[in-house]
Amino acid sequence: MFNLAFNSFNEILNMDDHGIYVWLVYSIGIIVIITSFVIVRRRIKNIQNKIKIKNASS
Amino acid sequence: MLIVGWIWGLLFAPEDAVQGNSYRIIFLHVPANIFAQMIYYFMSVCALMHLVWRVKLAAYLIKSAAPIGAMITFIAIFSGSIWGIPTWGTWWQWDARITSTLILFIMYLGILTLHGAFSNLEKADRLMSILVVAGVVNIPIIKKSVDWWSTLHQPASISVSGSSSIDPSMLYPLFISVIGLGFTLISLGILNSHSYIFTREKNKRWVSEYV
Repeated sequence: MFNLAFNSFNEILNMDDHGIYVWLVYSIGIIVIITSFVIVRRRIKNIQNKIKIKNASS
Repeated sequence: MLIVGWIWGLLFAPEDAVQGNSYRIIFLHVPANIFAQMIYYFMSVCALMHLVWRVKLAAYLIKSAAPIGAMITFIAIFSGSIWGIPTWGTWWQWDARITSTLILFIMYLGILTLHGAFSNLEKADRLMSILVVAGVVNIPIIKKSVDWWSTLHQPASISVSGSSSIDPSMLYPLFISVIGLGFTLISLGILNSHSYIFTREKNKRWVSEYV
């Protein structure tokens, strides 16, 4: 069950000509998920900063 | 956990006898589809709580979950389309499963658009909840579409109650990928609701004290 299904790095990339589909899907998936985390983290920081500024001025 | 599931599925799971290596998209496509539907179920429970008991937090959770639902439904549709090219010879087909999933994606976008269209946020919360409850009828349609209609999609290979037709060497990494994606989306959901609650409650004293 834990034997590598490929013999070389090229085989991993190529995946019998299906590599383009497989790696494209995973790349886009990872980019979308990571971007979502970055956007949310940034939004939290922004709103916290706004609240801190408001607290300091009041 | 998600990374472990994906590495196992991409590099160690054996090649499929029929689909070759293109089947490895399953380790993203199936978990994405499962959570695209589960997030909507979660939102509909929150919508009922908001409509029946006027729980304010439930509306906040719907608003926080909807963009994550849209994002994961997009991944499900995109991965399915790309998978369709080597297996079906087409990236798109108006079959029941794909069309009902597209409707789910439009529902998520519609919920977000509807909420954004009102300046009165309490009214927006209520209308959004009504739309979520009305749209829940689509979820069993997605699930049963492969059984009710003749579609390009194969019938379900994985079953929670009965035996799965998929080999354990492929099923285990798939199971880990589902759990891993679940944890990833829960973390994203917690962060997103954190951000939205702060935005909505920014004028309240408890938020000032917390920050």
